[in-house]
Amino acid sequence: MQRFTKYILACLILILSGCAEQWLDRKPQNIILEEQVWNDTKMITGLLANYYDRLPAHTSLTTGWAEFAAYDEAMWSNNDDGRNNIVSYPFDRWRLWDYGLIRDINLAIENIETFGTSLSAGQKAQFSAEFRFLRAFVYFELVKRMGGVPLVTKQLIYDFNGDPSYLQQPRNKEEEVYDFIASELDAIKEQLGNDGSNTRANKFTAMALKSRAMLYAGSIAKYNNLMASPISTPGGEVGIPASRAADYYAKSLAASEEIINSGKYSLYKTNPNLGENFYDAITKKSANTEVILAQDYLVSKDKRHGFTYDNIARNVREDNLSSSSITPSLNLVEDYEYLNGTPGTLKTRNAANTDYVYYDKMEDVFANKDARLYGTVIYPGTSFRGTPVQIQAGVKVWNNASGSFQNVESNTLGATYDDGGLLTGSSGPQRSQTEVTNSGFYLRKYVDQTAMSSTRGIRSDMWWVRFRLGEIYLNAAEAALETGKTANALKYVNVVRERAGFGENSLKTLTIERLQNERRVELAFEDHRVWDLIRWRTAHEVWNGNASNPDAVIYALYPYRVVRPGHPTHNKYVFDKLVAPRFRAPRFFQMGNYYSSIDQAIIDNNPKIVRNPFH
Amino acid sequence: MKAKKRFVNQVLGLLALATVLSACEKDNRAEPKSVLKGRVVFNGEPVGVRSNGVQLEIWQRGYQLFTKIPVYVNQDGTFSASLFDGNYKLVRLRGNGPWVDNTDTIDVQLRGTQELDVPVQPFFVFENETYSKGEGKVNATFNLKQINTSRNLERVNLYIGTTTIVDPNNNAGNAQEVAANITDLTKSITLTATLPAALAGRDYVYARIGVKTSGVGEMLFGEPQKIMLK
Repeated sequence: MQRFTKYILACLILILSGCAEQWLDRKPQNIILEEQVWNDTKMITGLLANYYDRLPAHTSLTTGWAEFAAYDEAMWSNNDDGRNNIVSYPFDRWRLWDYGLIRDINLAIENIETFGTSLSAGQKAQFSAEFRFLRAFVYFELVKRMGGVPLVTKQLIYDFNGDPSYLQQPRNKEEEVYDFIASELDAIKEQLGNDGSNTRANKFTAMALKSRAMLYAGSIAKYNNLMASPISTPGGEVGIPASRAADYYAKSLAASEEIINSGKYSLYKTNPNLGENFYDAITKKSANTEVILAQDYLVSKDKRHGFTYDNIARNVREDNLSSSSITPSLNLVEDYEYLNGTPGTLKTRNAANTDYVYYDKMEDVFANKDARLYGTVIYPGTSFRGTPVQIQAGVKVWNNASGSFQNVESNTLGATYDDGGLLTGSSGPQRSQTEVTNSGFYLRKYVDQTAMSSTRGIRSDMWWVRFRLGEIYLNAAEAALETGKTANALKYVNVVRERAGFGENSLKTLTIERLQNERRVELAFEDHRVWDLIRWRTAHEVWNGNASNPDAVIYALYPYRVVRPGHPTHNKYVFDKLVAPRFRAPRFFQMGNYYSSIDQAIIDNNPKIVRNPFH
Repeated sequence: MKAKKRFVNQVLGLLALATVLSACEKDNRAEPKSVLKGRVVFNGEPVGVRSNGVQLEIWQRGYQLFTKIPVYVNQDGTFSASLFDGNYKLVRLRGNGPWVDNTDTIDVQLRGTQELDVPVQPFFVFENETYSKGEGKVNATFNLKQINTSRNLERVNLYIGTTTIVDPNNNAGNAQEVAANITDLTKSITLTATLPAALAGRDYVYARIGVKTSGVGEMLFGEPQKIMLK
């Protein structure tokens, strides 16, 4: 009995002492507490990385990349024909209502103040500034698609009283959202730190965002009110008064000039080959002084994407599938001017339009064009990764009896004609096949030169440029032109053109149309085209859905080898311009597309949200 | 043990059968059987619009969710919607059709099938339209009458197509005259469209005239006309 009591006593001591040492009260291994996050700079940086990664984009290398083929820069040459047959853009096409990300950022800004006890004041200020930069970026993405949105800057907490109406915030005016972005960026720019970084925001990144946002606001204030009936709502949720235009343009210009005059950035001019140089300017990750903010990838850390796999030219692909998805249009190619400043229309027919122009080499038809064409587009007669990209539709055989050419094309890529010469190129173009260009061109910009980057196993770590100095120069030129400072506008636009091979001071006069074309060719495939046309309020005219409007239709260029033995034109090259065979429906942008529709569920949850016009 | 297993199997089989049979039962709500149909009219005549372009809105209050029912107007100005019996409000969406904005609500008490004319005031209408064919051409002659002077004329078009659906987005050829060349609306206007080679050999084409008012996205159209080429 006594032994038994001793035994119980020993047990009791063990159990009780275990509790005293808080044996059960251990730190969880799978939950990170707020106090831990907000006192550890590494964890805060990790959180920031998550938010940078979630920044919205309409088209980038990963998000919606295929939509590059849905406007007039390119068409779709991979499988399916969805993007060649968009009867009209749906009203919800650009819809964005990402208050999940806004809330996460608001929460971060509040929590770093509440829990960040061991951070220095400087660290706290810098992280808060970076969160606020991200929030401004998201609000810019929201306002450019939806018009004015509710400006929520604090977390909204429901008190379960049965009436959520105090949480229902109406939409702010469109101009209020732009003003909020400007004031936020001004407030944080000196606290951002990150000097010299091109993947995290610093002072000049904030100014780059301000430069773009204020330019958008200014052009909406100006061009919306030049429409026969401006798009607006009575409460100003959509539409900015014309009187604000000058102010916004001035703010944009000041922000751009702050970056340009800082001397921290310069246009990339390392490669003496101007065409290659323009490709490098966007794609070279090391010693790139032009890129201001990029979304970076790294194969060794499994942060990679399949953009090169999907878009590399057909005969240089390393995988057995895909390639050739986004194929640039002849429309874009012809918008690259000749270096003497004349319009870029390709000379495929003689002056009287009675006969072809015969070229010794395919690339000769592109001679003396803007070097940016080479850096953006793979055109017939050029190479990728040192391998010639063979683009030839077929041969034109002269028929003496009829006195005309007959086209011979093959369904086999790389086929040989009866005379032993090439019939159809190993990269097409092909009228009906998929995974080979249908427009006669391939994309070069953003397609990775690294070996094996077009395989599914390895993929690519090409980065996505969000802001670069080239855009800032064009923003500055446009803002200066719109505010009557033509001399400054010429100065800025000519710097960009000089890098493309135009020589110093190539433009002596400037119109907004010329500048619009300059943006089209410099910033092609960088998620600018559709937004530029929207803010200039020209989208509904350029893409009016009419099959007889050459801007709304995607054109192709098909090169042929001439077979006419004994004649001086034998084995020379001619070019046919045609509507891309796989292109179906002309681009059709309606008035209701200028601002995307708001989801009915949003309006059901918050009846104070007013609809956008035309919906 | 074996018997128990068989029993379980039998129960499972019965359950499966019950699921299959109950799944075949008809939906728990009948489809809407009442039809609201009508025309968008001016002076009792239907107004021609672009196919799949112009919509009217129908709203119904009294339920938790308040969502519009969009009703697209056919190109001949008619529309129809299948609805449940009830009281609805029909609204002419602003800035949408080729007519003067009018946000007055039209109350609709729907009981069974009902026909409804929705009156609108266009900016311009066509009068005395005549179509004729020439050598590889189609001509249209008409008068343009301005009904409302708050907006200006932008242009008139003649569209040629191979089906009765003819508008700016569905056509094979068109002719255009801009407002600057149309100074006197009392005189008749003639548009001549040249037939593209692909159409010249056909037995017939359809032609339709349209007028664009500046500041209004949609155009107003005449009736499509079948034109025999042979």
